[in-house]
This record gives sequence, C-alpha cells and structure tokens, in this order.
Amino acid sequence: MTPTVTFAREQLRAPFTLALLVAVPFLFVVSAAGVLSDFASALGGSLAGDAAAALSAGWAAAFICGALGYFQAASSRGADRRLALAGLGSARVAAARILASVTLAVVATAAAFAALVLRVDVAHPAHTAVAVLGFAVLYLAVGVLIGSIVGSPLEGSLLVVFVFLLDTFAGPGMTGGSPPPWAISRKAADILIAAGTGTGSPGGDWVAVALITVGAVAAAFLAFVLSARSRA
Amino acid sequence: MAPVAITTTAVLAVESVEKSFGVGVPWRRRRVAVLRGASLEVRPGELVGLVGENGSGKSTLMQIIVGLLPRDAGIVTHDGRLGYCPQQPLLWDKLTVAEHFELFAQAYGLADDRARGARDALVDELAFGRYLGYRVEALSGGTRQKLNLALALLHEPRLLLLDEPYTGFDWETYLRFWELAERRRAEGMGILVVSHLLSERGRLSRLYELRDGRCEVL
Repeated sequence: MTPTVTFAREQLRAPFTLALLVAVPFLFVVSAAGVLSDFASALGGSLAGDAAAALSAGWAAAFICGALGYFQAASSRGADRRLALAGLGSARVAAARILASVTLAVVATAAAFAALVLRVDVAHPAHTAVAVLGFAVLYLAVGVLIGSIVGSPLEGSLLVVFVFLLDTFAGPGMTGGSPPPWAISRKAADILIAAGTGTGSPGGDWVAVALITVGAVAAAFLAFVLSARSRA
Repeated sequence: MAPVAITTTAVLAVESVEKSFGVGVPWRRRRVAVLRGASLEVRPGELVGLVGENGSGKSTLMQIIVGLLPRDAGIVTHDGRLGYCPQQPLLWDKLTVAEHFELFAQAYGLADDRARGARDALVDELAFGRYLGYRVEALSGGTRQKLNLALALLHEPRLLLLDEPYTGFDWETYLRFWELAERRRAEGMGILVVSHLLSERGRLSRLYELRDGRCEVL
C-alpha cells in the first residue's frame, strides 16, 4: 500500500471529521445562502439570488477544507517528519499527505454541490462543481501551508480563518468595488457567480483558477517539504 | 572534564557541537546556550549512555544527531543507517500497528519478505504481536512505546539512538528492553541511550554526563 493510500485511510477513519466534512458544507449552503446576499448588500455589493447560493457552496467547501488542511499538516507533523527522516524523504511524505487530503476535499465538494443542487436549479452544474472543487483545493493548500509553518492549533486555525474572511469578504459581489488582487478565490468566485446566474465564464477565468490553485498547492508542498527536511 | 577522543571507527562521532535558542519576544530576544561544544562517540558493538539533568540538552543533542534540529557549530558524522526512537512516540493515532510497520518498511527500502520477517521477530521479542491489527489510539502508553522502539529497529540499523526509550514500560518489559539492547550490541550495533536516569550502568560500555553543555565521561 502506498503512503498516499495509507494516509487517506487514516483520514477516512475519523468518523466525526467525515460527518463534519459532509454536514458543514451541506448546512451552510442550505441555511446561509440567503443571508449571504444580505451581507453583500450591507457591504455595498450586488450578490443576490442563485448567484449567492452558488457562491455559498464554494465558501462552505473552502472553509471546511482550510481547517482540515491545517489540522492534517499540523497534527501529524512529528510522525510525518520521522517518516521523512527514516528514508521516505520529505517530498514523498508531502506529496502523500497533500494527495490524501485532496480525497477529503472531493468529499466536501460533493456535499456542498449536492446541497446546492437540492436548494436551487443549477444552470451550469459542471462549471459549478469544478469551481467549488477549485475553492476546496485552494483552501486545502492554504491550510497545509499554514499547518507546515504554524504548530500551535489556536494560532494556526485563527490564521486560516483570518485568510478566509479577508479573501471571501473582499471577493466579487461582496463590495461595491472590484476585488483586490490578493483575494485568492476571486476567479473561482467569478465562475460560481456566473454559473449561478446561468451564464458561462471566459476561458481566461478558468486558466486563472487553475494557475492560482496549482500555485497554492505548489506553495503548500514546498512549505511542507521545508518543514520536514533534515537539518543535519 | 575528560576530553573525548574521536576515533575513525566510530559509527557516531559528535565533535564540539554548539546550539543555542532564542528566548523572549523578537525585539528583546536573547540567546541561551544549551550545548557548548558537546563531543561523544559510539563505536560498533558499544552500548553508550548519556545522562544529564532535566533541561541539560540531551534531547536537543539527540535531535541534532538525527537531523531534526540544525546545529550552530560542530561536526556530526554517523553511519547512514540509523534507527531513531524519539522520547515521545511519534505515531499516527488512526493507523494500525501493522500499517506503521508497512510505512517504515517502505521508508527504509525493505523488501516485503524481509520487512515481514523483521516485524514478526520484533513483535515477538517485545511481546506485542496480538496488537498488530489495533489502531495506535487503542494502545496503552507502554505498547505505544514498544511500537516506537520497534520501528527504530525494523531495518537493523548500525547505529541505534534511543531517547528515554523505556518510558511507560512495566518492569518485565524494562528488563526485556535491556536484553534486546545487549543482543543488538553483541551483533555489532552501536547504541546510544539517552536518559535522565540510568540505573543499568553495569550494562554500558561508557557513560557520558551532559553538564554545562559539554559531555563528560563518567
């Protein structure tokens, strides 16, 4: 059995985590999507209706995956480092840990997407599913990145939440102006809002989402490798 | 303090290692020196002890040898094939004992047959074979420590580094541990045992005390 499969098994053996992975995105989409447009109008944004519902699925998957990525990296840090030093190497351990966590990102994405489909009539289901997965993997990478650097659970989880709040509340539709360039999920949000209103997205948005997500995963991989490498 | 002569046949040679840590808030940070030129050696077939008070730097030195911590100065040379048993069992709660052996066998590059043979011999020797299918979260502290130790021995290292290895062991397991260590020593393995208290001095080839950041032969 490969280390990736073993780590994925490890993660799937936490029933409460799995329950949260499904319940949090599901309940968030079902209950909070309506409130999201109120938030947006209070901040001067234009987000409303099905677009708000679609965006809520991305937010829900991002939030749970950010927390999950953080705790996956931080809580197993000692054992992962020991395995890397024993000869598996920090790159292989990092790849296995991140790939195994993507399994959970897929579960969270499926839960958020299912809740969205139950709640509204999704005009572009394929676009929506891919954009929600983009949110999930992007924040999984943010969580792993922070978990590789910050060991303290309180500080680390607060940092993940801080990045999430800063990014999502500055995102498209939430304020009157255009989103700042550092809002990392803005392109995924653009695609979700467009899908929610029944329109497609330009190819440039898809390329941007792919580049941002791959870049975030690469940064998380690098941070993990550096934290687990030998200091000899 | 007795100077430590480093021989070329050592499986572990630590020469004049220094290490300090920053203490305090970033704008008023001061350095606290923990190791101030620590030197020691372990040769093949030696069982060497390292004692010292709490906070004397024993685990810091061990982590530097293993590569978990960078050193500020000095030289550490060792045989590449080392086994490390950390003070706190570094394990995955949701994985079984057997899955831990599988992961470490891959890390050590062991073929399946050899890994299974070594695993079975170790669980017999430490008497925890019936827990192979148990997850770590279901194990007692002593059994976790047995697994922690067995993972360090799986690939039959030429240098074995043990940091407080018998924490949580009952008396019978404690004695079994020393028998295991002596058998490995007789086979030519170099072993360094770090502890705040070593009562088995008669079993040791040499005993160092870490005091004021330096290793002194007792």
